[in-house]
Amino acid sequence: MLERAGIPAVSVCTDAFRITAEAMANQMGFPGYRYVTVTHPIASRTEKEIDEMARQALPDVIRVLGAGLTYPEVTPA
Amino acid sequence: MTEVDAAEARRAIEHYYEHGWTDGLPVVPVTESYLAEFLARTDRDPDEVLIPMPHLNKNLTVRLAAINAALAGCLPSYFPVVVAAWDAFLGDGMVTRSIWQSTTGTAPFVVVYGPVRQRIGLNSQGNVWGSGFRANATIGRAIRLGAINGLGLKPHVFDQATQGTPAKYSCCIAENEEDSPWTSLAADNGIGPDDSAVSATVIRSVLHIEARHTTAPEQLAADFADSLCRTGALVRARASGYVVLNPEHARLFNKHGWSKADVQVAIAERGWRTYRDMEKTGKEAIAGGTGWRLPADHPDALPQETPEDPDTPVQLIPAPEAVHIVVAGAPNAGVSSIVETFGVVGRAPAIVKVEEK
Repeated sequence: MLERAGIPAVSVCTDAFRITAEAMANQMGFPGYRYVTVTHPIASRTEKEIDEMARQALPDVIRVLGAGLTYPEVTPA
Repeated sequence: MTEVDAAEARRAIEHYYEHGWTDGLPVVPVTESYLAEFLARTDRDPDEVLIPMPHLNKNLTVRLAAINAALAGCLPSYFPVVVAAWDAFLGDGMVTRSIWQSTTGTAPFVVVYGPVRQRIGLNSQGNVWGSGFRANATIGRAIRLGAINGLGLKPHVFDQATQGTPAKYSCCIAENEEDSPWTSLAADNGIGPDDSAVSATVIRSVLHIEARHTTAPEQLAADFADSLCRTGALVRARASGYVVLNPEHARLFNKHGWSKADVQVAIAERGWRTYRDMEKTGKEAIAGGTGWRLPADHPDALPQETPEDPDTPVQLIPAPEAVHIVVAGAPNAGVSSIVETFGVVGRAPAIVKVEEK
Protein backbone atom coordinates (compact mmCIF):
# COMPACT_ATOMS: atom_id res chain seq x y z
CA MET A 1 0.00 0.00 0.00
CA LEU A 2 2.81 2.41 0.88
CA GLU A 3 4.61 1.54 -2.32
CA ARG A 4 1.47 2.16 -4.36
CA ALA A 5 1.44 5.63 -2.79
CA GLY A 6 5.02 6.15 -3.95
CA ILE A 7 6.60 5.66 -0.53
CA PRO A 8 9.55 3.24 -0.54
CA ALA A 9 8.84 0.37 1.85
CA VAL A 10 10.04 -3.11 2.73
CA SER A 11 7.78 -5.81 4.16
CA VAL A 12 9.39 -8.02 6.78
CA CYS A 13 7.78 -11.18 8.15
CA THR A 14 8.95 -14.33 9.85
CA ASP A 15 9.42 -17.46 7.79
CA ALA A 16 6.31 -19.01 9.41
CA PHE A 17 4.19 -16.58 7.39
CA ARG A 18 5.81 -17.07 4.01
CA ILE A 19 2.81 -18.85 2.42
CA THR A 20 0.43 -16.12 3.54
CA ALA A 21 2.83 -13.41 2.37
CA GLU A 22 2.97 -14.95 -1.11
CA ALA A 23 -0.83 -15.35 -1.20
CA MET A 24 -1.30 -11.74 -0.11
CA ALA A 25 1.08 -10.49 -2.80
CA ASN A 26 -0.80 -12.46 -5.46
CA GLN A 27 -4.16 -11.27 -4.15
CA MET A 28 -3.04 -7.64 -4.36
CA GLY A 29 -1.77 -8.07 -7.92
CA PHE A 30 1.97 -8.35 -7.15
CA PRO A 31 3.05 -11.93 -7.81
CA GLY A 32 6.77 -12.21 -7.16
CA TYR A 33 6.67 -9.32 -4.66
CA ARG A 34 10.05 -8.85 -2.99
CA TYR A 35 10.04 -8.97 0.81
CA VAL A 36 12.33 -10.01 3.62
CA THR A 37 11.89 -12.98 5.93
CA VAL A 38 13.47 -13.47 9.33
CA THR A 39 13.55 -16.58 11.49
CA HIS A 40 10.41 -17.32 13.51
CA PRO A 41 9.49 -16.51 16.31
CA ILE A 42 9.52 -12.86 17.43
CA ALA A 43 7.28 -12.68 20.51
CA SER A 44 9.40 -14.85 22.81
CA ARG A 45 12.85 -13.41 22.00
CA THR A 46 14.95 -11.11 24.17
CA GLU A 47 15.75 -7.55 23.15
CA LYS A 48 19.34 -8.60 22.44
CA GLU A 49 18.20 -11.41 20.14
CA ILE A 50 15.84 -9.07 18.29
CA ASP A 51 18.65 -6.55 17.80
CA GLU A 52 20.84 -9.30 16.37
CA MET A 53 18.06 -10.44 14.02
CA ALA A 54 17.57 -6.87 12.82
CA ARG A 55 21.32 -6.50 12.24
CA GLN A 56 21.39 -9.71 10.21
CA ALA A 57 18.29 -8.73 8.19
CA LEU A 58 19.52 -5.21 7.39
CA PRO A 59 21.51 -6.09 4.22
CA ASP A 60 18.41 -7.87 2.87
CA VAL A 61 16.23 -4.88 3.72
CA ILE A 62 18.58 -2.54 1.88
CA ARG A 63 18.79 -4.92 -1.07
CA VAL A 64 14.98 -5.13 -1.40
CA LEU A 65 14.64 -1.38 -0.94
CA GLY A 66 16.95 -0.76 -3.89
CA ALA A 67 15.45 -3.46 -6.13
CA GLY A 68 12.29 -3.54 -8.21
CA LEU A 69 8.94 -4.17 -6.57
CA THR A 70 8.71 -7.70 -7.94
CA TYR A 71 11.12 -10.28 -9.28
CA PRO A 72 11.40 -9.66 -13.04
CA GLU A 73 10.81 -13.28 -14.00
CA VAL A 74 7.30 -13.13 -12.52
CA THR A 75 4.71 -11.20 -14.47
CA PRO A 76 1.34 -10.23 -13.06
CA ALA A 77 -1.41 -12.72 -13.88
CA MET B 1 -32.45 -43.02 -5.76
CA THR B 2 -31.08 -45.15 -8.60
CA GLU B 3 -27.46 -46.28 -8.89
CA VAL B 4 -26.88 -43.75 -11.67
CA ASP B 5 -28.26 -40.88 -9.56
CA ALA B 6 -26.06 -41.87 -6.63
CA ALA B 7 -22.99 -41.85 -8.84
CA GLU B 8 -23.94 -38.40 -10.18
CA ALA B 9 -24.43 -37.10 -6.65
CA ARG B 10 -21.00 -38.40 -5.63
CA ARG B 11 -19.46 -36.84 -8.72
CA ALA B 12 -21.01 -33.48 -7.85
CA ILE B 13 -19.72 -33.72 -4.28
CA GLU B 14 -16.22 -34.56 -5.51
CA HIS B 15 -16.38 -31.57 -7.87
CA TYR B 16 -16.66 -29.27 -4.83
CA TYR B 17 -13.76 -31.01 -3.14
CA GLU B 18 -11.61 -30.58 -6.24
CA HIS B 19 -12.23 -26.83 -6.14
CA GLY B 20 -11.51 -26.59 -2.40
CA TRP B 21 -15.02 -25.30 -1.72
CA THR B 22 -15.58 -27.28 1.48
CA ASP B 23 -14.65 -27.31 5.15
CA GLY B 24 -13.49 -30.90 4.75
CA LEU B 25 -16.98 -32.39 4.96
CA PRO B 26 -19.12 -33.05 1.87
CA VAL B 27 -21.28 -30.11 0.76
CA VAL B 28 -24.71 -30.03 -0.84
CA PRO B 29 -24.56 -29.31 -4.61
CA VAL B 30 -26.17 -25.97 -5.48
CA THR B 31 -27.96 -25.16 -8.72
CA GLU B 32 -29.25 -21.77 -9.91
CA SER B 33 -32.83 -22.81 -9.16
CA TYR B 34 -31.94 -23.96 -5.64
CA LEU B 35 -30.02 -20.71 -5.05
CA ALA B 36 -33.13 -18.78 -6.14
CA GLU B 37 -35.11 -20.46 -3.36
CA PHE B 38 -32.71 -19.01 -0.79
CA LEU B 39 -32.66 -15.54 -2.35
CA ALA B 40 -36.48 -15.54 -2.40
CA ARG B 41 -36.42 -15.62 1.41
CA THR B 42 -34.98 -12.12 1.73
CA ASP B 43 -35.73 -8.65 0.38
CA ARG B 44 -32.02 -7.91 0.25
CA ASP B 45 -30.37 -7.35 -3.15
CA PRO B 46 -28.25 -10.38 -4.11
CA ASP B 47 -25.37 -8.02 -4.88
CA GLU B 48 -25.52 -6.22 -1.55
CA VAL B 49 -22.27 -6.56 0.36
CA LEU B 50 -22.75 -8.07 3.82
CA ILE B 51 -19.07 -8.19 4.80
CA PRO B 52 -16.47 -6.06 2.97
CA MET B 53 -12.87 -7.27 3.09
CA PRO B 54 -11.05 -4.66 0.98
CA HIS B 55 -7.53 -5.71 1.94
CA LEU B 56 -8.20 -9.14 0.38
CA ASN B 57 -10.16 -7.73 -2.59
CA LYS B 58 -13.15 -9.72 -1.35
CA ASN B 59 -16.78 -8.93 -0.56
CA LEU B 60 -19.26 -11.36 0.92
CA THR B 61 -22.50 -10.56 -0.91
CA VAL B 62 -26.02 -11.78 -0.16
CA ARG B 63 -25.66 -14.15 -3.13
CA LEU B 64 -22.41 -15.61 -1.81
CA ALA B 65 -23.99 -15.98 1.64
CA ALA B 66 -26.91 -17.85 0.02
CA ILE B 67 -24.67 -20.15 -2.01
CA ASN B 68 -22.70 -21.07 1.07
CA ALA B 69 -25.84 -21.57 3.17
CA ALA B 70 -27.06 -24.01 0.52
CA LEU B 71 -23.66 -25.73 0.37
CA ALA B 72 -23.74 -26.04 4.17
CA GLY B 73 -27.01 -27.96 4.06
CA CYS B 74 -29.34 -25.17 5.22
CA LEU B 75 -32.96 -25.18 4.10
CA PRO B 76 -34.04 -21.96 2.34
CA SER B 77 -36.16 -21.11 5.40
CA TYR B 78 -32.96 -20.77 7.47
CA PHE B 79 -31.55 -18.07 5.19
CA PRO B 80 -33.02 -15.02 7.01
CA VAL B 81 -31.18 -16.22 10.14
CA VAL B 82 -27.93 -16.54 8.18
CA VAL B 83 -28.32 -13.00 6.79
CA ALA B 84 -29.02 -11.61 10.27
CA ALA B 85 -25.95 -13.46 11.56
CA TRP B 86 -23.72 -11.84 8.92
CA ASP B 87 -25.22 -8.43 9.78
CA ALA B 88 -24.40 -9.13 13.43
CA PHE B 89 -20.82 -10.09 12.53
CA LEU B 90 -20.49 -6.77 10.70
CA GLY B 91 -21.79 -4.98 13.80
CA ASP B 92 -19.48 -6.98 16.07
CA GLY B 93 -16.59 -5.61 14.06
CA MET B 94 -13.98 -8.33 14.60
CA VAL B 95 -14.42 -10.09 11.25
CA THR B 96 -13.80 -6.93 9.26
CA ARG B 97 -10.72 -6.36 11.43
CA SER B 98 -9.28 -9.55 9.88
CA ILE B 99 -9.62 -11.62 13.03
CA TRP B 100 -10.16 -14.78 10.97
CA GLN B 101 -6.65 -14.40 9.55
CA SER B 102 -5.16 -14.34 13.03
CA THR B 103 -3.07 -17.06 14.67
CA THR B 104 -5.55 -17.22 17.56
CA GLY B 105 -7.89 -19.05 15.19
CA THR B 106 -11.29 -17.85 16.41
CA ALA B 107 -14.59 -19.44 15.38
CA PRO B 108 -17.87 -17.75 14.48
CA PHE B 109 -20.37 -18.02 17.37
CA VAL B 110 -24.07 -17.44 16.67
CA VAL B 111 -26.96 -17.40 19.15
CA VAL B 112 -30.57 -17.29 17.94
CA TYR B 113 -33.51 -15.91 19.93
CA GLY B 114 -37.28 -15.72 19.50
CA PRO B 115 -39.97 -17.66 17.62
CA VAL B 116 -37.83 -18.50 14.58
CA ARG B 117 -36.15 -21.13 16.79
CA GLN B 118 -39.26 -23.31 16.77
CA ARG B 119 -40.15 -22.52 13.16
CA ILE B 120 -36.88 -23.92 11.81
CA GLY B 121 -36.15 -26.49 14.53
CA LEU B 122 -33.16 -24.93 16.30
CA ASN B 123 -32.10 -26.81 19.40
CA SER B 124 -31.86 -24.77 22.60
CA GLN B 125 -32.19 -27.68 25.00
CA GLY B 126 -30.20 -30.86 25.73
CA ASN B 127 -26.91 -31.32 23.85
CA VAL B 128 -27.10 -27.69 22.76
CA TRP B 129 -23.36 -27.60 21.93
CA GLY B 130 -23.47 -31.06 20.41
CA SER B 131 -24.43 -32.51 17.08
CA GLY B 132 -27.78 -33.84 15.89
CA PHE B 133 -29.80 -30.79 14.85
CA ARG B 134 -29.86 -29.67 11.24
CA ALA B 135 -30.62 -25.98 11.80
CA ASN B 136 -27.87 -25.52 14.41
CA ALA B 137 -25.34 -27.55 12.46
CA THR B 138 -25.93 -25.95 9.09
CA ILE B 139 -26.46 -22.31 10.10
CA GLY B 140 -23.12 -22.35 11.94
CA ARG B 141 -21.52 -24.11 8.99
CA ALA B 142 -23.00 -21.56 6.54
CA ILE B 143 -20.99 -18.83 8.28
CA ARG B 144 -17.79 -20.82 8.22
CA LEU B 145 -18.21 -21.81 4.54
CA GLY B 146 -18.97 -18.15 3.77
CA ALA B 147 -15.64 -17.25 5.32
CA ILE B 148 -13.76 -19.94 3.39
CA ASN B 149 -15.43 -19.55 -0.01
CA GLY B 150 -16.80 -16.01 0.09
CA LEU B 151 -13.97 -14.21 1.87
CA GLY B 152 -11.18 -16.54 0.76
CA LEU B 153 -10.10 -17.43 4.29
CA LYS B 154 -8.70 -20.88 3.60
CA PRO B 155 -6.55 -22.62 6.21
CA HIS B 156 -2.78 -22.55 5.56
CA VAL B 157 -3.23 -19.52 3.28
CA PHE B 158 -5.09 -16.46 4.61
CA ASP B 159 -6.38 -18.30 7.68
CA GLN B 160 -3.19 -18.51 9.72
CA ALA B 161 -4.73 -20.16 12.80
CA THR B 162 -2.05 -21.89 14.82
CA GLN B 163 -4.45 -24.62 15.97
CA GLY B 164 -7.99 -23.26 15.49
CA THR B 165 -10.88 -24.80 17.40
CA PRO B 166 -13.46 -27.54 16.70
CA ALA B 167 -16.07 -24.76 16.82
CA LYS B 168 -14.81 -23.67 13.40
CA TYR B 169 -16.88 -26.44 11.80
CA SER B 170 -20.08 -24.97 13.20
CA CYS B 171 -21.09 -23.12 16.35
CA CYS B 172 -24.73 -22.05 16.55
CA ILE B 173 -26.99 -22.38 19.58
CA ALA B 174 -30.40 -21.01 20.53
CA GLU B 175 -31.40 -19.53 23.88
CA ASN B 176 -33.71 -21.79 25.92
CA GLU B 177 -36.22 -19.04 26.63
CA GLU B 178 -38.92 -21.50 27.71
CA ASP B 179 -36.90 -22.92 30.62
CA SER B 180 -35.25 -19.64 31.62
CA PRO B 181 -36.48 -17.62 34.59
CA TRP B 182 -35.38 -14.44 32.81
CA THR B 183 -35.92 -12.60 29.53
CA SER B 184 -33.54 -13.51 26.68
CA LEU B 185 -30.32 -11.69 25.88
CA ALA B 186 -32.06 -10.32 22.78
CA ALA B 187 -34.99 -8.98 24.82
CA ASP B 188 -32.51 -7.39 27.23
CA ASN B 189 -31.08 -5.56 24.24
CA GLY B 190 -34.30 -4.13 22.85
CA ILE B 191 -35.69 -6.93 20.65
CA GLY B 192 -39.50 -7.28 20.97
CA PRO B 193 -41.09 -10.48 22.37
CA ASP B 194 -42.61 -11.46 18.98
CA ASP B 195 -39.42 -10.79 17.05
CA SER B 196 -36.53 -13.14 16.40
CA ALA B 197 -32.91 -12.10 16.53
CA VAL B 198 -29.33 -13.30 16.19
CA SER B 199 -26.22 -12.33 18.13
CA ALA B 200 -22.79 -13.01 16.70
CA THR B 201 -19.21 -12.72 17.77
CA VAL B 202 -15.92 -14.58 17.51
CA ILE B 203 -14.78 -17.04 20.15
CA ARG B 204 -11.94 -19.27 21.23
CA SER B 205 -12.85 -22.05 23.67
CA VAL B 206 -16.10 -23.38 25.08
CA LEU B 207 -15.41 -24.70 28.60
CA HIS B 208 -17.58 -26.98 30.70
CA ILE B 209 -18.40 -25.77 34.20
CA GLU B 210 -19.40 -28.73 36.34
CA ALA B 211 -21.16 -27.44 39.46
CA ARG B 212 -23.73 -30.07 40.33
CA HIS B 213 -23.88 -29.92 44.11
CA THR B 214 -23.65 -26.33 45.27
CA THR B 215 -26.79 -24.54 46.41
CA ALA B 216 -25.07 -21.19 47.05
CA PRO B 217 -25.26 -18.59 44.27
CA GLU B 218 -22.03 -17.00 45.51
CA GLN B 219 -20.14 -20.29 44.99
CA LEU B 220 -21.57 -20.66 41.53
CA ALA B 221 -20.57 -17.10 40.58
CA ALA B 222 -17.05 -17.79 41.89
CA ASP B 223 -16.81 -20.93 39.76
CA PHE B 224 -17.71 -19.03 36.58
CA ALA B 225 -15.34 -16.17 37.44
CA ASP B 226 -12.48 -18.62 38.05
CA SER B 227 -12.83 -20.15 34.59
CA LEU B 228 -13.34 -16.82 32.84
CA CYS B 229 -10.10 -15.65 34.46
CA ARG B 230 -7.95 -18.69 33.68
CA THR B 231 -4.50 -17.42 32.82
CA GLY B 232 -4.34 -19.42 29.59
CA ALA B 233 -7.11 -17.30 28.11
CA LEU B 234 -5.33 -14.05 28.83
CA VAL B 235 -3.71 -12.86 25.64
CA ARG B 236 -5.20 -9.43 26.26
CA ALA B 237 -5.18 -7.52 29.52
CA ARG B 238 -8.80 -8.30 30.39
CA ALA B 239 -11.15 -11.28 30.35
CA SER B 240 -14.59 -11.45 28.78
CA GLY B 241 -17.07 -14.06 27.65
CA TYR B 242 -20.50 -15.55 27.52
CA VAL B 243 -21.77 -17.58 30.44
CA VAL B 244 -24.19 -20.13 28.98
CA LEU B 245 -26.22 -21.16 32.01
CA ASN B 246 -28.21 -24.34 31.94
CA PRO B 247 -31.75 -23.73 33.25
CA GLU B 248 -30.95 -25.44 36.57
CA HIS B 249 -28.17 -22.95 37.36
CA ALA B 250 -30.30 -20.03 36.15
CA ARG B 251 -33.13 -21.14 38.43
CA LEU B 252 -30.75 -21.46 41.38
CA PHE B 253 -29.72 -17.83 40.98
CA ASN B 254 -33.35 -16.79 40.48
CA LYS B 255 -34.51 -18.71 43.56
CA HIS B 256 -32.16 -16.59 45.65
CA GLY B 257 -33.60 -13.43 44.17
CA TRP B 258 -30.68 -12.75 41.86
CA SER B 259 -31.55 -11.06 38.56
CA LYS B 260 -29.44 -11.67 35.46
CA ALA B 261 -27.75 -8.30 36.12
CA ASP B 262 -26.98 -9.42 39.70
CA VAL B 263 -25.24 -12.51 38.31
CA GLN B 264 -23.16 -10.36 35.95
CA VAL B 265 -22.13 -8.10 38.83
CA ALA B 266 -21.29 -11.06 41.10
CA ILE B 267 -19.10 -12.69 38.44
CA ALA B 268 -17.34 -9.42 37.60
CA GLU B 269 -16.65 -8.73 41.30
CA ARG B 270 -14.96 -12.12 41.57
CA GLY B 271 -13.14 -11.65 38.26
CA TRP B 272 -9.58 -11.24 39.52
CA ARG B 273 -6.42 -13.20 40.23
CA THR B 274 -3.54 -12.37 42.53
CA TYR B 275 -0.41 -10.73 41.21
CA ARG B 276 1.36 -13.91 42.34
CA ASP B 277 -0.80 -16.02 39.97
CA MET B 278 -0.15 -13.65 37.12
CA GLU B 279 3.60 -13.62 37.72
CA LYS B 280 3.69 -17.43 38.01
CA THR B 281 2.45 -17.66 34.40
CA GLY B 282 4.42 -14.72 33.01
CA LYS B 283 1.37 -12.52 32.46
CA GLU B 284 1.84 -9.84 35.11
CA ALA B 285 2.69 -7.00 32.70
CA ILE B 286 1.06 -5.35 29.69
CA ALA B 287 2.77 -4.77 26.32
CA GLY B 288 2.99 -1.31 24.82
CA GLY B 289 1.13 -1.12 21.52
CA THR B 290 -0.70 -4.45 21.50
CA GLY B 291 -1.84 -4.34 25.14
CA TRP B 292 -1.16 -8.07 25.41
CA ARG B 293 -0.14 -9.78 28.65
CA LEU B 294 3.50 -10.81 29.02
CA PRO B 295 6.29 -11.10 31.63
CA ALA B 296 7.50 -7.85 33.23
CA ASP B 297 11.03 -8.48 31.93
CA HIS B 298 9.89 -8.79 28.29
CA PRO B 299 11.29 -6.02 26.07
CA ASP B 300 7.77 -4.92 25.06
CA ALA B 301 6.47 -4.67 28.67
CA LEU B 302 5.31 -1.27 29.83
CA PRO B 303 7.02 -0.17 33.07
CA GLN B 304 4.92 -0.94 36.14
CA GLU B 305 5.36 -1.09 39.89
CA THR B 306 5.55 -4.53 41.48
CA PRO B 307 3.09 -4.63 44.40
CA GLU B 308 4.64 -5.20 47.84
CA ASP B 309 2.07 -7.85 48.65
CA PRO B 310 2.10 -10.59 45.97
CA ASP B 311 -1.50 -11.43 46.88
CA THR B 312 -2.69 -8.06 45.63
CA PRO B 313 -5.68 -8.65 43.31
CA VAL B 314 -5.35 -7.94 39.61
CA GLN B 315 -8.84 -7.20 38.24
CA LEU B 316 -9.35 -9.12 35.01
CA ILE B 317 -13.09 -8.80 34.34
CA PRO B 318 -13.34 -5.02 34.04
CA ALA B 319 -17.12 -4.61 34.34
CA PRO B 320 -20.39 -6.60 34.51
CA GLU B 321 -20.92 -5.79 30.79
CA ALA B 322 -17.90 -7.98 29.95
CA VAL B 323 -20.04 -11.00 30.86
CA HIS B 324 -23.02 -11.86 28.64
CA ILE B 325 -25.51 -14.40 29.95
CA VAL B 326 -27.55 -16.81 27.84
CA VAL B 327 -29.65 -19.73 29.11
CA ALA B 328 -29.38 -22.96 27.11
CA GLY B 329 -29.30 -26.71 27.62
CA ALA B 330 -31.47 -29.17 29.51
CA PRO B 331 -32.63 -28.62 33.09
CA ASN B 332 -31.21 -32.00 34.12
CA ALA B 333 -27.85 -31.29 35.82
CA GLY B 334 -25.61 -28.51 37.11
CA VAL B 335 -23.52 -28.30 33.95
CA SER B 336 -23.05 -24.92 32.29
CA SER B 337 -20.37 -23.44 30.06
CA ILE B 338 -18.10 -20.48 29.51
CA VAL B 339 -17.52 -19.14 26.01
CA GLU B 340 -14.28 -17.22 25.67
CA THR B 341 -14.94 -14.32 23.32
CA PHE B 342 -12.29 -12.37 21.47
CA GLY B 343 -14.08 -9.11 20.72
CA VAL B 344 -14.09 -5.73 22.39
CA VAL B 345 -14.50 -6.22 26.13
CA GLY B 346 -17.43 -4.70 27.99
CA ARG B 347 -19.60 -3.73 25.05
CA ALA B 348 -23.22 -4.65 24.34
CA PRO B 349 -23.44 -7.78 22.14
CA ALA B 350 -24.09 -7.29 18.42
CA ILE B 351 -27.74 -8.38 17.98
CA VAL B 352 -29.72 -8.11 14.76
CA LYS B 353 -33.44 -8.73 14.22
CA VAL B 354 -34.29 -11.56 11.80
CA GLU B 355 -36.33 -10.34 8.81
CA GLU B 356 -38.34 -13.34 7.63
CA LYS B 357 -40.17 -13.24 4.32
